[in-house]
Amino acid sequence: MRRFDAIVIGGGLVGAAIAYGLAREGMVPALIDEGDIAYRASRGNFGLVWVQSKGLGAPHYQRWTRRSAEEWPALAAELFARTGVAVGHERPGGVHLCLSRAEFAERRVRMEQMRRESGNFGFDYRMLGHDEVAALLPGIGPAVVGASFTAYDGHANSLALLHALHRGFVGRGGVYLPNRTITEAVAAPRDFRLGAGAEEIGAPVVVLAAGLGNAALAPRFGLSAPVRPQRGQILVTERAGRVMAMPTTTVRQTLEGGIMIGDSQEDVGFDTGQRIDVMRAMAHRAVLSFPWLAGLQIVRAWAALRVMPPDGVPIYDQSERFPGAFTANCHSGVTLTGVHANVFAPMVAAGALDPALAPFSARRFDVPQAA
Amino acid sequence: MPDDGAPMPVTADLAIVGAGPAGMAAACVAAELGLATVVIDEQPAPGGQIYRGVERALPDSPLGPDYLAGREVVAAFRACGAEYRPETAVWHIDPDGTLAVMAGGHSDTVAARHVILATGALERPLPIPGWTLPGVMTAGAAQILLKTADLVPDGRAVLAGQGPLLYLAAAQLARAGATPAAILETAPHANYHAAARRVGAAWACRRDIAKGLALIRELRRAGVPIRRGVRGLRAVGRERVEGVAWDGGELAADLVLVHDGVIPDTQIARALAVAHEWDDAQLCWRPVLDEWGGTSAPRIAVAGDGGGIAGAAAAALSGRLAALGAAAALGHIDTAERDRRAAPIRAGLARERAARGFLDALCRPAREALVPADDTVTVCRCEEVTAGGIRRAARLGAQGPNQAKAFTRCGMGPCQGRLCGPLVAAIIADEHGLSPEAVGTYRPRAPYKPITLAALAGLREDP
Repeated sequence: MRRFDAIVIGGGLVGAAIAYGLAREGMVPALIDEGDIAYRASRGNFGLVWVQSKGLGAPHYQRWTRRSAEEWPALAAELFARTGVAVGHERPGGVHLCLSRAEFAERRVRMEQMRRESGNFGFDYRMLGHDEVAALLPGIGPAVVGASFTAYDGHANSLALLHALHRGFVGRGGVYLPNRTITEAVAAPRDFRLGAGAEEIGAPVVVLAAGLGNAALAPRFGLSAPVRPQRGQILVTERAGRVMAMPTTTVRQTLEGGIMIGDSQEDVGFDTGQRIDVMRAMAHRAVLSFPWLAGLQIVRAWAALRVMPPDGVPIYDQSERFPGAFTANCHSGVTLTGVHANVFAPMVAAGALDPALAPFSARRFDVPQAA
Repeated sequence: MPDDGAPMPVTADLAIVGAGPAGMAAACVAAELGLATVVIDEQPAPGGQIYRGVERALPDSPLGPDYLAGREVVAAFRACGAEYRPETAVWHIDPDGTLAVMAGGHSDTVAARHVILATGALERPLPIPGWTLPGVMTAGAAQILLKTADLVPDGRAVLAGQGPLLYLAAAQLARAGATPAAILETAPHANYHAAARRVGAAWACRRDIAKGLALIRELRRAGVPIRRGVRGLRAVGRERVEGVAWDGGELAADLVLVHDGVIPDTQIARALAVAHEWDDAQLCWRPVLDEWGGTSAPRIAVAGDGGGIAGAAAAALSGRLAALGAAAALGHIDTAERDRRAAPIRAGLARERAARGFLDALCRPAREALVPADDTVTVCRCEEVTAGGIRRAARLGAQGPNQAKAFTRCGMGPCQGRLCGPLVAAIIADEHGLSPEAVGTYRPRAPYKPITLAALAGLREDP
């Protein structure tokens, strides 16, 4: 049996960020991944490092997201220095476009609630009218009534990020074990033995970051991760000159110049199929937002499954029954990479999660539901 | 809201994608049996690659009698009663049988009860060093220019690679007045021995062999040197191609036409996630098909070379079988009628396929053509990813093309990985010491062909 300092299950953005962080703490972790075909949420990511709409009704999540956005610039620089992979992080601020008065009013209420819930921490946002949005983002259509803006928002190249985390992890002595599924798990406090493919591996620490796979894995480690799939579809156009100064929630321009259109949400189970009506609705909204997009060719499109906790808020937990077992579950793998690598991983390396993360525990779902 | 202005879907019993030999034959049978049939074709006229532009060909066309025979086939298709939609691209198929199509910058949908994919073959990429230089193109592309625009190349043309089309294209160019400067054949010598052992198959395709030998005699009479067993082939030049070189020789050239055989175009079948199998004789993937061309997905069938390379005659026969299968599945004929009609077609198909083993053995690509040894060779032309880049991704742990894509952007360009897919898989397989079968393929997604946002949104591009 090969022994490691830690085993991270899941080679997507969440697992790779934590594994990278653990390796930086001086541990020798194994990162277990599936093969070429898997429900890879990380490969379907829209690429926003997004703050302004995260954590409504959950101030701890709002702060966690903000913290991650703060960690991002240093992490991006560090990854570039260590791996030579530029992850394309930019933080020019971002907007959510509203295409009707009703949308605008609803957005204002939401943003104001975010501000109230931020308490002393603060939450600076502005509601912009059409002309103010046009000054930030020339080329918006007449259908744009206005937008919400915060300076916290940004974006990055999610595939480059995944690549950089993998490189950085291996470069720091981590061991990547692809093409493995967990066939057996023997858990004891600070002693975990896993059948991974044909091999048995062991470690005193295990981190479950297997996305949708966590739902089935977690109970074997005295944990709970009731996540379900939510399908999102994305369209990408051919490259255009760099024209968009900042990302929006549904349309953003990559550093290479392609325009990404995203943010569909469908509850369809484990189905990564693409649907014409959804793609059409996304294109329609994008062209209303930016009429100049109409003539661009869509060269790629895809559908992927978000990892969605019941309340949309991430689940971070440590096992009481088997100390040393941790889990991380979220649908914002890019945004939260900053905290996963720089905050969560050091806690795991130190042996316990900070009490500040207690509100993220899955125990919040144990409260009996009112009839 | 988004549906405002979107045209009503057309409904059909059968939608056929592609109007080559398989698609046209399927349409003729389906229409005869009373199926409301629509044929969607990217080309401006029926014929597919093999009979491209045949309706406007002159009787003395340098393309030859086999090509001109396509005129009758196309005429029969034109008269069969199926709706023909030329210059129309399918960019998505829902598993429920809804096809999203685009023509003239506008998109609409075709709702079909049954679908036959007859998308044919594409040329296997031949990734020699320098293959991205201007002046290097495929032999098939040169044939298209000849068929559609009567364009023949200026200057010294060298054909390189292997496969029947290489000799056919060379002879057609010679007849059109552009005698090639040379043919460089890359098929390994071992292929001749392997093929020679297949006596039965050789007998079954004796007519094809005779045609091939006649082409070679014709080329020799025209003074075209043919060099066999060429290894280490590369195109050389600075701004554009200036010549070819190989182990032990070189030749000046203004145009280099490469060809390494053809493989099934499985893009749509792959996107529909139907089951595929690796064909080790033809070194390519093909969909798993039942005797009526049916795939693992209900409603979706494949006919012609898209289901495995067998040539135009076999394609037409498999198209007819697929149409019979569709007619029975939709209740237009009973299974007894289907089987009665299928028997003679099946016999003909068996004869065509028996011959295939000989050609497969003779035209097996050289290993060096499948896996570029030179790390600087561009593999993904759209995103400019080299063989070395793919190898590095594999060493970092990429287990297959989809992970390599995430790491390098290979396959993300406008061709959607149609061209680089086999190469990327072969390089990863080589790096991990696995078979291409174990490594798998890209999972292509919609849009199969680029579509404008305006067309997708259902908006008019021109006010």
